[in-house]
Amino acid sequence: MPRALWSGSLSFGLVNVPVQIVSATRDLDYHFHQLHEKDKARIEQRRYCSKEDSEIGWEEVGHGYELRGKQVVLSDEELASVQPRKTRTIDIDEFVDLTDVDPIYFEHSYYLVPAGDSEGTLRAYRLLVEVMAGQERAALGRFVMRTKEYLAAVRAREGALTLTTMRFHDEVRPSKDVGTGGKKPSKRQLEVAVAIVNELSTDWQPDRYEDCYRTRLRAVIDAKRKRRTIEVPPQEKEPLPVPDLMAALQESIEALKRGEDPRATARTGAGRPGRTRTASDGSARRKPSRAKKTRR
Amino acid sequence: MPRSIWNGTVTFGMVNVPVKLYSAVESKTVHFHEVHLKDGARVEHRRVCAKEEKVVAYEEIVKGYEVSAGRYVVLEAGEVKAAAGDRGKVIHLREFVETAEIDPAFYESTYYVGSRDDRDVYRLLFDALRKTGRAGIGRFSFHDREYLAVIRAGDDLLLLHTLRFHDELVAGSDLEIDLRGRKLSLREVKMAGQLVETLAGRFQPDRYEDEYRAAVLDLISRKAKGEEIDLIAQEEPEHGDDLAAALEGSLAGMRR
Repeated sequence: MPRALWSGSLSFGLVNVPVQIVSATRDLDYHFHQLHEKDKARIEQRRYCSKEDSEIGWEEVGHGYELRGKQVVLSDEELASVQPRKTRTIDIDEFVDLTDVDPIYFEHSYYLVPAGDSEGTLRAYRLLVEVMAGQERAALGRFVMRTKEYLAAVRAREGALTLTTMRFHDEVRPSKDVGTGGKKPSKRQLEVAVAIVNELSTDWQPDRYEDCYRTRLRAVIDAKRKRRTIEVPPQEKEPLPVPDLMAALQESIEALKRGEDPRATARTGAGRPGRTRTASDGSARRKPSRAKKTRR
Repeated sequence: MPRSIWNGTVTFGMVNVPVKLYSAVESKTVHFHEVHLKDGARVEHRRVCAKEEKVVAYEEIVKGYEVSAGRYVVLEAGEVKAAAGDRGKVIHLREFVETAEIDPAFYESTYYVGSRDDRDVYRLLFDALRKTGRAGIGRFSFHDREYLAVIRAGDDLLLLHTLRFHDELVAGSDLEIDLRGRKLSLREVKMAGQLVETLAGRFQPDRYEDEYRAAVLDLISRKAKGEEIDLIAQEEPEHGDDLAAALEGSLAGMRR
């Protein structure tokens, strides 16, 4: 069982369930240490007072904040004094439809596990799991962990309660200046694009996706250990916009219907403007492709 | 809008959509810098060679992976790059899934996807995702690392979320939570259900303010004025063992 990061209670009406928070994610990344190139000794980060130019311990460190050009210094104790009083509880304010919560708000996920094995605790925990499992609802509440207040969504998942911390609304940036391209697609274009999406539709099966970066990094480490040369693979060239959108859509859906990968065809077809086509490719669309390319 | 952080192309079928990515989120947590309490001077973090006990310049530092205690494989920057793969600036959407099927635990970071020009193809992808309620799965390389990503239609633009890999998530069954014991009574389940109904609402994110952030900023200004800071003790909530009574009390409280 993962280590407890917080313990307190989940409070819901007058019901208090003692719980601990454990991470719902594990870190599988390869981590590196900083080494001194010359002697391969470990690098340590040490704190120095910039005025005295001497090393200091962490207990001598305070929190500085620049306020209107003036520095304000707070100690750990002073900072702790503004932590909300009920810092050991997750207070449930309301229950909302999970589908109404945009994933942009989700930050980090944890499990809530019952703290201790008293009958009362376990019953209350089970009751919450049972009541919430049947619904696509999430309980919203707030709590403080370390020195930060969090908004959190609590749900039932796989027989346990999970807690996902959420961003506050003003941490989500406005998006009004993000460019969203040109005009609306024609009905026909949309129909074919929808057909492509449907053709490529599948169930969400997360275990089909492996972290290739992790695997390759492991291979790089092993190769280096055996003193083999490591080559950086050539990067895929960024494809140019297609000259004739409707033609590209049409070719894509036809390739998919034949059970072929449209990108494989695209290497010689509409996906790569300006390239020579194979005879079977219908060369009528070659000209506009060149025209578009020179206009860029 | 701040500067874009990534420029590249999203593809579906043979169609290529030139895009820019922007961070969709910025942390508003109050950040402090470290100061020496004695003299208020800034604290600097210096890199010290543990063997020589000397401060080391950044250029003399390399990345080492510890293969066994004290033994390292040293990787150069270019070698780490080799692990990022060959995808460069392209995200191929080869599969489309129902967004609602992706558990919130998978979501990592969110970016706004903007069109790099005024071609119609951006709107086409947006409308197709909107209409099908599906999101495209692809791989996304950023800062020499490859991520699993999903692109979906938001209210009026495309969003990209990086996703955690399945083995990075802890399964509920790994927790060994003891769910046995005396059966819950029908009355308890019913009352808890009622309590949930009473508290049901619509998600309105702007109803929640980061009160702690506000309190920290207030503390800073009080301290700046030379105010004495009260160090308050924390209180612990009580928890009763009579579940049914607590539920009943809560419901009574709500109805009042």
